[in-house]
Amino acid sequence: MSFTDGHTFSGESLSHIAHLIDNKDIGIWEYNTDTKQVKWSAGFYAVLGYTRGEIECSYSYFFDHLLYYQDKQTFVKTTYSPRHGGPRTAHIRLLTNNNGYQWFESTTHRRDTSEGVVMYGILININAIKIAQVKTAESELQALEIGRIAKIGIWEVDSRSMELKFSPEVYDIFELNNHIKLSVPEAIEFFMPAYRPMIEEAVNQALTLCKPYDIEVEFRTAKNNIIWVKCKAVPVLDEYGRCETVRGTFQDIDNVKRRGLSLQSSINLLDDQNKRLQNFAYIVSHNLRSHAGNLKFMVELFEESQLAEDRTEIFQHIKTISGSLSATMGHLDEIVKIQAEISKGTKLVEFEKIFANVESALQTNISATEAEINTNFSQAPVINYVPAYLESILQNFLTNAIKYRHPDRQPIINITTYKDGNNIYLIFEDNGLGIDLQRHGEQLFGMYKTFHQNSDSKGIGLFMTRNQVEALGGNIAVESTVNVGTKFTIKLV
Amino acid sequence: MSSETKFVTAGIVDDDKIFTYGFRKLTGIKGLFNEILDFSNGQEAINYLTDPINSQHLPDVLFVDINMPIMDGWEFNDAFGEIKSQLPKPIKLYNISSSIDLEDINRAKKNPLVADYLLKPLDESYLTEIFHNLQHPGDQLKYN
Repeated sequence: MSFTDGHTFSGESLSHIAHLIDNKDIGIWEYNTDTKQVKWSAGFYAVLGYTRGEIECSYSYFFDHLLYYQDKQTFVKTTYSPRHGGPRTAHIRLLTNNNGYQWFESTTHRRDTSEGVVMYGILININAIKIAQVKTAESELQALEIGRIAKIGIWEVDSRSMELKFSPEVYDIFELNNHIKLSVPEAIEFFMPAYRPMIEEAVNQALTLCKPYDIEVEFRTAKNNIIWVKCKAVPVLDEYGRCETVRGTFQDIDNVKRRGLSLQSSINLLDDQNKRLQNFAYIVSHNLRSHAGNLKFMVELFEESQLAEDRTEIFQHIKTISGSLSATMGHLDEIVKIQAEISKGTKLVEFEKIFANVESALQTNISATEAEINTNFSQAPVINYVPAYLESILQNFLTNAIKYRHPDRQPIINITTYKDGNNIYLIFEDNGLGIDLQRHGEQLFGMYKTFHQNSDSKGIGLFMTRNQVEALGGNIAVESTVNVGTKFTIKLV
Repeated sequence: MSSETKFVTAGIVDDDKIFTYGFRKLTGIKGLFNEILDFSNGQEAINYLTDPINSQHLPDVLFVDINMPIMDGWEFNDAFGEIKSQLPKPIKLYNISSSIDLEDINRAKKNPLVADYLLKPLDESYLTEIFHNLQHPGDQLKYN
């Protein structure tokens, strides 16, 4: 229904309305396409900041001087015949007297009269709204850009309907190009099974107990890529303090997390090495100190002793200490050599051959103790290893097994190898004295730690062996029962 | 000074034969301690202390090394704590070691059973002081 349909305005009223319009920052214009006659209302001048007569009132002046050149096309389209069905309204920029170009909403109408086609229109200044819109669009764009660049998505769950909404960035992380709507359980299915209970509980606690969460979990995307994500959520409360919505961010932190994890494993490795070095420094200092202390002690006694036979005896001890000092220095050299041997590189070596060398070197001990040695290297006959290490490892374990044999029975030593995936294991099993792991487990591989009253226990063998094995990335596990025997499982590679 | 002079027996618990030999020799030359018993590890010492045959022949002071096979000094300290109340006479316990590790030193010093932690080689004048305190128990206050 048109405004004028039901009402008739008197001439008086019309002028009132015109007055009203003129004072409302609305410009009205009229243009006769045939006569080229143009009429501008007082408001038209006012919205542009001019006074009547200051500018030429013509279509060409409007088109050439007031209308911003990029908006000409837009404006012209609104003047087309309704037959074309074009828009009636356009947002255009016009040059104002005082504020440069400003945004206006222009509405154009066309009427065919007896005097030809007459166009008339309204101009309203919408600059403030337009600027605000542009700014909003800019900040929205920025927010989207930030999210995209930082790979942070935004999501929310309505606590009543349990409807789940994702920002485009969340879909990007899910690698769901079609942006299908997911339910909460469906979304949880994307997390790696191990983390599902954790995320379920976090979501439930956020919904029911208003508990925020911030977790880092593994996630499988629609394209089957496994990545680390950070999932952070805060509950949005209603006026009663109940959780209305849970809203959160979802972030791909795969790179950072993986770097962090590899850093952590490097730290652990360094930590282990550091501990071993510290232990080593402590032992060396302790042993050198005790030899040096004894030497000083004996030299002082030597000086204080009057008896020749005492002096001879003391001198014997000084010689022993001198020997011990040399032995300790020799052990130090061996430890330093561990690193040097590695640099020579690994070779494909046969267990059978290396073991034959070791066995012949220890033949005297083996026959003296009547030890029965059974070997089976068929499961893993060869290994890529530092040859000198393998020999040293086999020799140390065999020496230990013979040295710590049980006095009441014939020593039986079983040596086998096996393969598990890419790893090769060496097993040494004996029926010897056994070790009380409860008491000595921690010190078993320490330097100069001995557990049996055995004069040839030096406490260097297992220390060296462990260093060699670990230097090549392996490890040693031990099971033992006192008076029954010991089983060493050595993961070589 | 008290006129009473006690007969003082010292026990040394250490697997280091040279150190034990030196200890015997030095105390012999200096006239410290009237008798020396030696044990090559903690277990031997505990066996001796708990054997009723030896109840009349227990040491007055024990010097116990930390690093030993079979039963080390720490384990000996614990075992000694358990039998202490059943012993017919008080025995003063010292830990001795070449270790200058603060962890070891504090561990020994924190233990109320341990009178002190002595670094090897042992300080002769400190040994003399320990001996005199045991020889003249009445003078204890002077040193404490």
